Amino acid sequence: MNFYKNLATGASILLLAACQPAGVPDETATPDTPRDTAAAESALSTEFTVDVSYHQLDNGLRVVLSEDDSVPTATVAVYYGVGFRNEPRGRTGFAHLFEHLMFAGSENLPHGAFDTLIYGNGGVNNGSTRYDFTNYYEVVPSNALNAVLWAEADRMRAPNLDESQLDNQREVVRNEVFVNVINQPYGGWIWIDLPMAANENWHNSHNFYGDLTDLDAASLDDAQAFFDQFYAPNNAVLVVAGAIDKDATLAMIEDLFSAIPAGDALPEIDTSEPRQEEEKFAVREDDLANQPALAVGYHMPERGTPEYYAMILIDQLLVQGDDSRLNQSLVNEEGFASGVFGGINLLGNAFNYNGPMLWTVGMIHDSEFTVSDVMTSLDATVEGVRTELVSEADVERARTKLLSDFYGTVDTATRFGLVDLLASFAMFDDDPSRINRITEGFEQVTPELIRATAQEYLRPSNRTVLEVRLADEDGSE
Amino acid sequence: MSIRIFQAALTAASLALLPGLAGAQVSEQPPIGDPVPFELPETTGFTLDNGLEVTFIPFGLAPTVNISLQVRAANIDDGSQTFLADLTGAMLEEGSAGRSSDVIATEIAAMGGALNVGVGRHTTNISTGVLSQYGPDAVALLADLALRPNFDDSEFERVRANLVRDVDVQRAQPGSIATEAYARILFGPDHPYGNTLPGEEQLRGYELSDVQAFYATNYGAGRARLYVAGHFDAAAMEAAIRDAFGAWATGDADAAAGAPASGGPIVQLIDRPGAPQTTIRLGFPAMAIGADDAPAMTVMNALLGGSFTSRLTRNLREDKGYTYSPGSGVTWTMEGGYWTFNADVTAADTAAALRETFGEITRLQSETPPADEADGMRNWLAGIFILQNASTGGLIGQLGQRDLYGLPDDYLDQYVPNILAVSDEDISRMARDYLPLDQMVLVLVGDLAVIGDDVRALPEVAAAEVRE
Repeated sequence: MNFYKNLATGASILLLAACQPAGVPDETATPDTPRDTAAAESALSTEFTVDVSYHQLDNGLRVVLSEDDSVPTATVAVYYGVGFRNEPRGRTGFAHLFEHLMFAGSENLPHGAFDTLIYGNGGVNNGSTRYDFTNYYEVVPSNALNAVLWAEADRMRAPNLDESQLDNQREVVRNEVFVNVINQPYGGWIWIDLPMAANENWHNSHNFYGDLTDLDAASLDDAQAFFDQFYAPNNAVLVVAGAIDKDATLAMIEDLFSAIPAGDALPEIDTSEPRQEEEKFAVREDDLANQPALAVGYHMPERGTPEYYAMILIDQLLVQGDDSRLNQSLVNEEGFASGVFGGINLLGNAFNYNGPMLWTVGMIHDSEFTVSDVMTSLDATVEGVRTELVSEADVERARTKLLSDFYGTVDTATRFGLVDLLASFAMFDDDPSRINRITEGFEQVTPELIRATAQEYLRPSNRTVLEVRLADEDGSE
Repeated sequence: MSIRIFQAALTAASLALLPGLAGAQVSEQPPIGDPVPFELPETTGFTLDNGLEVTFIPFGLAPTVNISLQVRAANIDDGSQTFLADLTGAMLEEGSAGRSSDVIATEIAAMGGALNVGVGRHTTNISTGVLSQYGPDAVALLADLALRPNFDDSEFERVRANLVRDVDVQRAQPGSIATEAYARILFGPDHPYGNTLPGEEQLRGYELSDVQAFYATNYGAGRARLYVAGHFDAAAMEAAIRDAFGAWATGDADAAAGAPASGGPIVQLIDRPGAPQTTIRLGFPAMAIGADDAPAMTVMNALLGGSFTSRLTRNLREDKGYTYSPGSGVTWTMEGGYWTFNADVTAADTAAALRETFGEITRLQSETPPADEADGMRNWLAGIFILQNASTGGLIGQLGQRDLYGLPDDYLDQYVPNILAVSDEDISRMARDYLPLDQMVLVLVGDLAVIGDDVRALPEVAAAEVRE
């Protein structure tokens, strides 16, 4: 149900659940769960390993189980391999609209019964749509686990695709777009407008919240075709984590999901972006904003390459945290803005996507400074990484920040960050155990690789600059 | 462990109910087992001679530790200088113990963390989260920030300009506009609770000397609590804390008092020409968090608007499609609290959405909710209590709230039993006692040309003082 990522937190590695009205624990803290409190009293251990077991049913459904009995809850997540990039032309926003429909009931659970099952047993649930997947997730006291698995199987097998529900959720989504984009200053500027301007391939460059006319045109036939194409077990990953008995849970999953037939092979789509050769500029006139803003997006190296890992470190060096170079230069020295934020994949993190992606920097800056003022200073800082070797200490600090972020992501009350990484590594790498080798890619990165990566990927000709202008730009604001 | 044994038994029972169903659809829901036991972690504590109270919360396998210093020096202490606490908090981040903020930021980042200062209504929270082995070093940096701020004149203008810009940006958001007006009606112009944002000229008028005075008056060990949660070496952390905070002066006692909220009937209409949605705040004064009725109010809120399965969400969103994210909640303050329903609804449906909202309140007042619905809400609150307390951040938040409001030590242990003891009829009684529509406070931010006539024609609005 949620789509919107609150960028103001700057916590780009977290997956937010934005639509729960109240009572959902704050995931932006850096929380832990206890597995062995006795160990805390003796010698300090810095070991941390995620339990992972990986299975595949005959119908292609991939299953990841992760046991952790510290807190008596279980987290279930179903990831379908369909996101913004896959939605049909003329139906922008459809992947997200369909996500809403998956909450509208299924054969054995009339509209509302799914939510009542989860909430009435002490849990919370949500869903979200991203570039390369749509996910559905729940956390419940562990005594309700089997019922939740049954409910997820029911809607994977037979959702109620119903005209009145489609009409209702169309209105809900319209209000979602209003509240997150159209009725907000800066609404969607950096996570919709910038990718639309920066990308050339339609799959990456359309409005993935959806043009309102496309949402209006969406039909029940579209929904059925979309479901048949994409919502099949062979295009899904199921993750269950928490206080579970793995053998019993796997047996239950086999009972509940194995009869769901596999779908047809998925259509191949070309999502590639050409190498950008010239700097691009875009302007958003914003009637509601009262301070200008600036966003810069650079195309990322391909996921999984050595340069990709170097970019993840560069992100830490340049924009993450008060110690980062752009925060120090643009905020502390120049006073252009209260803060600089950004990252890789602003609607997720550096791991949970599979295709072209931007590394983004953004800020709301003072109207007393021009775009040229800000860009001159930004260029000077970025050029420093392109031309000079960063110190070993800087690289080590970036690695430490990443490790700390990783712990903050996987060790939360809901375990949503944990299951997201497990699902992403299963879906995109066919190897959820990568979660326990997540630092390996960073350990290979040298100052030389950072400089070479910055030379190619932080070229001005590899970027798009988006300016948010006030409606009365030359007025008295 | 008992939980494991219990689960295994449950699973076996579930499987027994579903024999040989592989290959067929499973149309029967597996049963829900008995509630699982959940115990809060044991905490330990000590108090320094200067009055600083310290709580240790060992809770963690991931080798990180969260450190949170909560100082009762916040917006409630602003007096008439709205946001002076925010400006002071921002200046704390600008270097300490004679060292620059850049140097400090680099040091704490090398430990895997950042030093954050968050200013709220009742406390300023100075916090960090670092890799476990750096816990004692992080304590020292955090203490520098709280005890020895540079308050450097050369940073001040930039920091103040940042705050001016941030407030300006907030004033462009319909939610902030609505909340500012709503708080003003509940608490009036003369208490800090009623002033959520400063005027631009007011903010520009603050000098560094104001910040220094606020700090001198309000910061001190006697008004602070330190929470350490996660995976840490308790002896090393205690030594670091005694070393870093032992010399902090006790400081002045708390002086600012809370204020009770006042009801209406008052309706404020704020024009936002062209807005496709109307931003709604509807509220009433409530009881204090420690009052006997607070658990019943919490269950009533969940059932009416505070949960995704609440009546207002099902009606306004899932049935009518008027809104995406309706919600309600109780906000606790020092002298009481208030209940608020908020939503952003399609402009043309504003009056209809209010009619439905008033209708749901009236229905709950007059009809005891069905037992299964009420059970679901009590279960939900009991279940999410686990989630609220299953992280270091969550535990710090829960214990911090208990301590701030002076609640009993066993407040959290009694929370779930108290929720489960709320009767179905108590839920309706809360709606009757605390949500009297003829005393409502209602703020609407939207396109008055579109919504104004319909809204003014609602009987509940017509009976109120309408401010435009």
